[in-house]
Amino acid sequence: MKKECIAMLLAGGQGSRLYVLTENMAKPAVPFGGRYRIIDFPLSNCTNAGIDTVGVLTQYRPLELNRYIGNGQPWDLDRNDGGVHILPPYQSATGATWYKGTANAIYQNIGFVDMYDPDYVLILSGDHIYKMDYAAMLAHHKREGADCTISVMEVPWDEASRFGIMNVDEHDTIVEFEEKPKNPKSNLASMGIYVFTWRKLREYLIADENDAASSNDFGKNIIPTMLADGQKMAAYRFDGYWKDVGTLDSLWDANMDMLAQGSGLNLLEKRWPIYGRSTSAPPAYLGADSHVEHSVVTRGCVVEGTAENCVLSERCTVGRGAQVEYSILMPGAVVEEGARVSYAIIGENCRIGAGAVIGCAPERASEAWGITVVGPETQVPEQYRLAANRMLNRDLKEVVR
Amino acid sequence: MNGLHGIIFAYEKEPGLRELVEHRMPASVPFGGRYRIIDFMLSNMQNAGITDVGVVLHGNYQSLLDHLGSGKTWDMSRKYGGLRLLPPFADNRKYQSEEFRGKMEALAGVRSYIEEIRQDYVVLSDSDLIINLPIDDVFEAHLASGADITCVCTPNLGRTENATYFHLDPDGRVAATLCDPHTPEGYQSLEIYILSRELLLRLVDECEAQEKSSFRRDVLLGMGEKLNIRSFIWEGLAAQLRTVKEYYDRSMALLDPNVAGALFCPERPIQAKEDDEASSYIAPESRCVNSFIADGCIVEGMVENSILFPGVRIGRGAQVRNCILFKNVTVSENVTLSHVIADKSVLVRTGGTLIGHENYPLTIARDSVV
Repeated sequence: MKKECIAMLLAGGQGSRLYVLTENMAKPAVPFGGRYRIIDFPLSNCTNAGIDTVGVLTQYRPLELNRYIGNGQPWDLDRNDGGVHILPPYQSATGATWYKGTANAIYQNIGFVDMYDPDYVLILSGDHIYKMDYAAMLAHHKREGADCTISVMEVPWDEASRFGIMNVDEHDTIVEFEEKPKNPKSNLASMGIYVFTWRKLREYLIADENDAASSNDFGKNIIPTMLADGQKMAAYRFDGYWKDVGTLDSLWDANMDMLAQGSGLNLLEKRWPIYGRSTSAPPAYLGADSHVEHSVVTRGCVVEGTAENCVLSERCTVGRGAQVEYSILMPGAVVEEGARVSYAIIGENCRIGAGAVIGCAPERASEAWGITVVGPETQVPEQYRLAANRMLNRDLKEVVR
Repeated sequence: MNGLHGIIFAYEKEPGLRELVEHRMPASVPFGGRYRIIDFMLSNMQNAGITDVGVVLHGNYQSLLDHLGSGKTWDMSRKYGGLRLLPPFADNRKYQSEEFRGKMEALAGVRSYIEEIRQDYVVLSDSDLIINLPIDDVFEAHLASGADITCVCTPNLGRTENATYFHLDPDGRVAATLCDPHTPEGYQSLEIYILSRELLLRLVDECEAQEKSSFRRDVLLGMGEKLNIRSFIWEGLAAQLRTVKEYYDRSMALLDPNVAGALFCPERPIQAKEDDEASSYIAPESRCVNSFIADGCIVEGMVENSILFPGVRIGRGAQVRNCILFKNVTVSENVTLSHVIADKSVLVRTGGTLIGHENYPLTIARDSVV
């Protein structure tokens, strides 16, 4: 059946800047915020905004992600007509290629989009934490009669040179796009969320594919070309919480934003719920001698020790006498008796052996400081010392970040 | 294992649960921070590989219907079989208005359903029981012993109201059945029975013809001589919740990690309807010890020896001790609560003090503003 708007979610990138966390899984499958995974945010936004058809483009290590998405039921995306579809690259009569870039990934799935014959297509990323009403953005796109609408947010001027910056006229029509400009003329940064009029995008995808020089990327090719051709490009201003969690530091920051009152990231607020696939664990148990402060705890947690300024995900254990501060324990992580974890991200199902010391506070670092990271499934031996700014993977291979 | 079919009786009222059953059947009384009582038996059945379960309903079952939904939570939303809700059947006018007098009458009310059961064996259970029972082990024992009926019972005698007790032969055969005796003795029945579908149908017809309504009086006691009735002894945790006091004590017992560990063992998980709440936030300068905290809570005050269901708010300066707070309860600033069971969405306004006693926990009805 014809749909007015469908979403295409780019979830195929390697997420190489998350290093050990994405050695075995795609970035959108990385756990976030206690009981979610990153992809829960765009999927929940879709379902809350009434978009019932979502194509998820996968390529890098998709197994965990595929299992997690399943039939889409946690997000109400198990539909008779539409729903969530996993779209890996596939073979055709003329051969097979991997997704060469973001635009090529959509190009290879023109057939999928055409099945729903939509007027508009929403392009989303699988590495952003935010709550956004795509229906409002779509309404803006229609009102402006735009060919493409890009959602933008104001960033601090001194950070503007790290973003793709949109220069707009008095009607918020985009007149110029600059990728990471040295001297930004505006502080409106692209959030990597686009609404296209499908008929128009289809033409540009085909033209882009025929251009051998193109790197087949939305930001580098499609958007600049459409702009140069004088297509109507509208900016849609967003002023809520939004964070790209593509790096270890930003992933840690965004988790900590759950604790900060003024951050704007409020997952306990129920008007725009975020859904996730659930597990059957009992409620969190905080033991008689535990001390938990300024932290979030999740079903299945057992805390006998101390946790301050932490995100404790599902089924985490903090043993007696263990101390965890300013850290994220991903689902199933265990910190055994007497171990200390500071300013760290501990991956899924890790075990931090008794008495081990992981990371340290910035003021106590002897060399270059940074967040310490232990990859998923790592069994850290008792009394192990992992200094600040280091990463450890499941083979106990230690590297400086 | 596809040879076993489940039937859960969820029609009985338990007046001893007072305010907790004002708006719901005992089966849907919240328990353990995020479960309803019936979740335990449904999960036990799911974990034993049972896919087809009938729930016999009567009375005020609105809240139970809402909770059970399609049965998806227990993987029982199936094309064939799955979860079937069995209100008194419309064509059987005599069961419409009056409550069932016993299990046999309830079964007679759903006779056509029993006839269509695909499996050869049936497990019968009440819906007021907290247990994590490997029903597949009971079934195996039933098949191995050649019993007509296998009864699950416990050597730990509780003070359960209206309970059934067995005297057992040395070889495990039920020698005598005692209904609600003055002093508990022998083994206490957990009201879980396995028998063949064929025998069940025969018993239903026989009882109906003779105007007999009770399983324990008319079958276990009345036909004890004719039938080979054997026991399966379960020594683990089992709690029949029939009074507020029992409900409270059994809830508080969960705060012992060994008790909770056995009930919520990961090999046989208990499934509850998803509440879609984010992680709970424990604020600075709060104190939260020896307590269960479900998702979606915000704790800014002090919580000790308590169980918080999803979405509970504890304000600054509040002191909550030995309490059970159901979903979306709000405890405002500087409130003191002790030995209180607050039902769904109760609001306790600033500065209030409510003190119950260990022997008589204070129960606050749903949606009350105190």
